[in-house]
Amino acid sequence: MKHKIKLEIDTAPIKSILNQNKKQIKLGLSMCAHCALCAESCFLYISNDRDPEYMPAYKFINTIGRLYKKKGKVSKEALEKMGELVFDKCVLCTRCYCPFGIDIPSLITLGRRICRSQGVFREYDK
Amino acid sequence: MTFLTIPSSAVLLEIIQGSLVWIAFIISGGGIIAQSFRLLKMTRKQAMPQLSSNAQYASQTAATAKNVWRHRLSVLKISILETNPAMATVSFIFHVCLFMAPMFLLAHNILLDLAFEVSFVSFSEKMSDSMTVVIIACGFFFFLRRIFVRRVRIITTVYDYMFLFIAVSPFLTGFLAYHHIFNYHLMIVLHILSGELMLVMLPFSKFFHMIFFFISRFMIISEHSMGSPKRLWQY
Ligand code: SF4
Ligand code: SF4
Repeated sequence: MKHKIKLEIDTAPIKSILNQNKKQIKLGLSMCAHCALCAESCFLYISNDRDPEYMPAYKFINTIGRLYKKKGKVSKEALEKMGELVFDKCVLCTRCYCPFGIDIPSLITLGRRICRSQGVFREYDK
Repeated sequence: MTFLTIPSSAVLLEIIQGSLVWIAFIISGGGIIAQSFRLLKMTRKQAMPQLSSNAQYASQTAATAKNVWRHRLSVLKISILETNPAMATVSFIFHVCLFMAPMFLLAHNILLDLAFEVSFVSFSEKMSDSMTVVIIACGFFFFLRRIFVRRVRIITTVYDYMFLFIAVSPFLTGFLAYHHIFNYHLMIVLHILSGELMLVMLPFSKFFHMIFFFISRFMIISEHSMGSPKRLWQY
């Protein structure tokens, strides 16, 4: 479970982050060929028995990608699951390699910003 | 009194084979140019790069051309050529054939010659046929990969299957028509229609990744850029 500050979803800050970075998110989502070639570039994917949830594309599609498609209207549970992906399953080492040059770490960073705006943080004592 | 008449199948065929082809080419060509400019408008020129790409860093610091090349090759080493050589090879062959097979097909060049009295050189029919088989086989490989490889399946949507089908169908129908398998006329109509659909979709869909690749990897400075990029993203 993530560290929780009792807070319900407030879509206004989410929407504001989504709007500010709309072009980048849209471009990343629309150019991702869903080829999974970025998988091997993530050391966490390799060192976690190649669990696909650690794949860079999975992480940005299911966090910032989902938030963008749902226009920020997600449940608190969904956001906490996203928090796991962007905080626990990625250390933002920026080593992911996408053959098309999609900047995956910066998309994951946006996912982190949105999680933080809703009181979902990295929990260090897990 | 009726002003609207339903065109006969001959007239429809004439439209599909004639004006619709040119409309598809114009939309596709214009779309690619417009979308490329739209992408470039999301970037800015970096006069004094604070962040150098590997290739730029190499050319600035390396004393000899040999070092530059060694560095360029090291960029390839952190690419999918190193991490996934099989997919790199299949993807490369697939995309090269996807462009070359239709462009250098004798039948297409004859049509071009009839229309404008110009044409490209043509591959032998056997060569074009083999390339078509290679495209269909690669397409089948991608299809199986989407179904059976977990990390691919987990991010695959129904649209990915649709795009794969649209990309391969002009080649599949062309192959079937050429070998007179099933109804020849039907296959030709499906071949032309699917080709036109693919052309029109190219600039406005995920197919644009083919152009995006060159802009993003060769024109934009990043850790993985190649050549001498001079621009930065400015979304
Ligand atoms: S992020 Fe890049 S490498 Fe990863 S699935 Fe998307 S297109 Fe493929
Ligand atoms: S930034 Fe995150 S996703 Fe990319 S390689 Fe590092 S840990 Fe993996």
